[in-house]
Parts: sequence; C-alpha cells; structure tokens
Amino acid sequence: MSALTVARRPRWLTVVGVLGVVALGFTVWLGLWITPPDRFQGNLARLLYIHPAIATVALYWVGLVAAGGSLLYLWPRTRSFFWDRLAAASVEVGAVFAALTLVTGALWGRPVWGVWWTWDARLTSTALLLLLEIGYLALRRVPAEPAIRARRCAVAALLIAIDIPIVHFSVDWWNTLHQGGTFIDPGFQIHASPSMSWTFLLGFIAFSLIFVWLLGVRYQVEVLQDAVGDQELEVSLSERWSEDTDLVGASASTPAPTTGGAAP
Amino acid sequence: MWHDAVLVAGKDLRIEARARVALWQVVPFAVLVLVLLAFAIGPDQASLRHAAPGIFWVALLFSTVLAIQRSVAVESGEGTRDGLRLSGIDPAGIFLGKAAAVGLQLLVLQLVLWAGITFLFDVRVHVVWLAVTASLLATVGLACAGVLYGALSAGLRVRDTLLPLLVLPVLAPVLLAGSKAWEAALNGNAASGGQWLKILIPFAVIYLVVGVVLYGPLQEAA
Amino acid sequence: MSYVDAGYAIALATLFVYAVTLVLRRRRWERALQMSEPGVEPEGAPAHGEAS
Repeated sequence: MSALTVARRPRWLTVVGVLGVVALGFTVWLGLWITPPDRFQGNLARLLYIHPAIATVALYWVGLVAAGGSLLYLWPRTRSFFWDRLAAASVEVGAVFAALTLVTGALWGRPVWGVWWTWDARLTSTALLLLLEIGYLALRRVPAEPAIRARRCAVAALLIAIDIPIVHFSVDWWNTLHQGGTFIDPGFQIHASPSMSWTFLLGFIAFSLIFVWLLGVRYQVEVLQDAVGDQELEVSLSERWSEDTDLVGASASTPAPTTGGAAP
Repeated sequence: MWHDAVLVAGKDLRIEARARVALWQVVPFAVLVLVLLAFAIGPDQASLRHAAPGIFWVALLFSTVLAIQRSVAVESGEGTRDGLRLSGIDPAGIFLGKAAAVGLQLLVLQLVLWAGITFLFDVRVHVVWLAVTASLLATVGLACAGVLYGALSAGLRVRDTLLPLLVLPVLAPVLLAGSKAWEAALNGNAASGGQWLKILIPFAVIYLVVGVVLYGPLQEAA
Repeated sequence: MSYVDAGYAIALATLFVYAVTLVLRRRRWERALQMSEPGVEPEGAPAHGEAS
C-alpha cells in the first residue's frame, strides 16, 4: 500500500474540523458570557451547555459507530477492515468523551448535591462504559493477525453495547428499590430562554462535529499503523526469502506467509 | 547485591514503561473492584463511607495479585529465568529489584485508589501521616511477600489459580491492619490508628528478610 | 475558579490535547510509512511499487 493512497487527507474532514472549532468557540462564548444565568441553578446551568452534549457523543454517537461498525464487519456481506478500524477509532475517542462526561458531570453535581459522585444509573453506567472501553483498547493492543484481531474486537464491542443498557437498568432498579422512588432527579429544571436553547443546540452540533473530526483523524492513524505493519512484514519477508535463495542446498524453512491485512 | 537490585528493578520498570500493562490493565482493574464492591454494598451513602477503607485495601490486594503475576510473567519466556540465573546476578538482588519494581507500581496504584475512594465514596483522609505510613509499610510487605510467592509458583502450569490461593491468605494481616489504620485516618482518630502499624512493621521486615534469604534457593529448586 | 470555569477549561483542554496527540501520531506514522516503502529501502526487496 503506497503512502500516497493511505495518507490522503480528505478535504471534508478538515472542513468538519474547522466548523467544529468555530461552533465550539461560539458555544463557549455564548455559554459563558452572553446567556443569562438560570433562574434556578444560576451560573451552574452553564455546564449544561457542554455536559449533555459530551454525554450524548460518548454514549450515543460512539455506541452507534462502534456497535454499528462491529456488526458491519462481522456481517460477511459488508465485511471490510474499514468498519473494524472505524469501530476501534470510535472506542478510543469514546473513552476520552466518557471520561469528560464523568468529570463535567461531577463538577456540576458537586455544588448541586454536595458530593462528587452518586451511584445513580446514568453516572454509574458511564463509569462502567469507560472501564469497558479501556478493556477493549487493551485487547486491541494485543498483537494478532488483523482479521483475528478485528473479529475479536468486534465481538467485544458488541458485548459492551449489549451490556451497558443492562447495567443501566440494573443500577436504576438497585437505586429505586433502595430509595423507594427515583434516586436522583438530574435536576434539569431550567427555564430556558431563547438564547439558552440556541446555545444548547449549538453545543450539541459543536461537540458532534468535533467527534467526527477526531474520529476521522484517529481512523487515519489506525490505517497508517496497519499499513506500516504490513510494509514491515513485506520487507522482512522478502529479506528472508532472498536469504533462502542465497543458501545453496540449505534446508532453511520458509516462513509461513501470514494472511496480512487486506486493503480496507 | 544492591547494584544488581537496581539493575533488575530498572529492567522490570523499563519493560512496564514499554508495555504499559500495569497502567492500562491493573489500574482499571483496581477501579473496577471499587465499583463492584460498591454494587455489593448498596447505594446507601453512609454504608459506602463506612466501608471505604476496607474497599480500598481489598481492591489493592486483588490488584497486587495481578501485579505479581505480571512480574512473574515477564520472565516466563523460554529460558529467560535460566538466563537470569546463569547471568551471575545475585538472586537476593533479583528479589530486591523485582520487589522494588512491584512496590513502585503498588504505590501508583494506591494513589489512584485513594483518589478513587475520595471521589466515589465521598471520604477524606484526615490523618495524612497515618495513612501514608500505613501505605508505605504495607507496600513493602505486599511487594516482598508477593514476589516471593510469585517465585514459588513460577513455572507451574497452574500458576494463575495457585498464586492467588497461596498469597492472599498470607497478605490477610496487611488487609486487616491496613483497613483499620485507614479507617482511623479517615475518621481523624490518630491514636487508635497508630497501633495497627505494629502489625505492618514486623510483616514488612519479616518478608523482606525472608525474601532475601529464600529467593535464591527457590530459584534453584524451580 | 468556579466549577463552571473548571468544567469548560478541562473539557476544552482535554479535547485540544487529545487532538494534538492524534495529529502528531498521524504525522509519525505517515513518516514511518514513507520510510518503510519498498522503493526507499536500500537493500532491494524484490517487491517494488505498490504492494497488494
């Protein structure tokens, strides 16, 4: 695979990145300065311009790409390393967003509830999601043939996607039975003025665009890593073969050619 | 012996820096244990706060087993252990070096776990010197006992199930004393907490000495 | 610094740092790929040009 084809940087990705940064800039400007403080939560509501957006990315966009990509890889009709690499890229980006969800959530929760952490369903599921994603990334780093690794990671991703709703439901029930009612009301009580609603929406758009850009770059890194791996394998294989032909009457065993990564 | 210890410690730490298994596997595992134990205890904030010191130490102990297995696995390649033996490095030095490397990882682990219980269970360490002293002493004991038992079970095919079974009962006094010491540290009760150090100190000293003495013979027997 | 400021700062800083690491990783692997291209290798590997 030539460096030229792999390192091609699509224009649309850069555009998305720029738009994302611009949207984010406006979100921050509007969120921190232009919008009024909330009637109930005061300035604390400003975190709601970023926290739910980040959480949506971490839970829904990432889930969609990782699970969808894994399914599409496993399905023989649509099998392609493109889906495997896309899913893997989304899990790493997703871990970053999951961690940010927890941090921004805790910073919002501390002044509101007085504690950094509560064991409510949403926070706990996100924490478990983060741990599961770290596990996936560790699994991904285990050296293996690309096809085997892809299959292994696809199954792992699907299991995570199935597991998180189960965890969420269990923790919710765990809390409800204990408290005899909903444990924590996330307190989304805000009287939204127009500027607040627009900022809220803009935040969603901004973080979604940023996610797409990060996903795109991370995907490119994944492709490049695999390409370099293939290249090094080719070089060492051909060096080995040329060694063998130099040896007269030697019974050197040829290395078993592995089924290397196919083109995406 | 000390020079060899530094050599071996450096080797183990360099391998870890490259592979980053402790960072990306053992640390998340420790946090996972915190979460699972919270599930076991229930969402009542008061119970969790009460159980926090015990949870810290249980998570630490389980993670120690993983760290030991990793420390042993690093040399499980064909002939690596023999090579180490034949290299003329003082076995006591190997022991100290490996224990030091594991100890360092355990210290990092404890920092993460301390942050974890502060964040997740809403507790605060009020008697810092007590918590820190208990942790340092325990780390020496855990690392020395762990590496020793790791050597005992190295090379055995049932190592993965045998090591926890062998080493966890041995580490129980550390769990006991550590939990009590930290409980006192969290409650601001320095006086009662200090007495638990009387268990941690001999434990650390004994396993340090025993390890230095027995590690060599153990390697020969393997 | 208020909780709100901290939240914004952490979120923006983390994403920025992550983005930078991604771009740097991409550049490093691009360079690695160029270096390991068969055409560049002095010891002539028989396979030249586009590998499959």
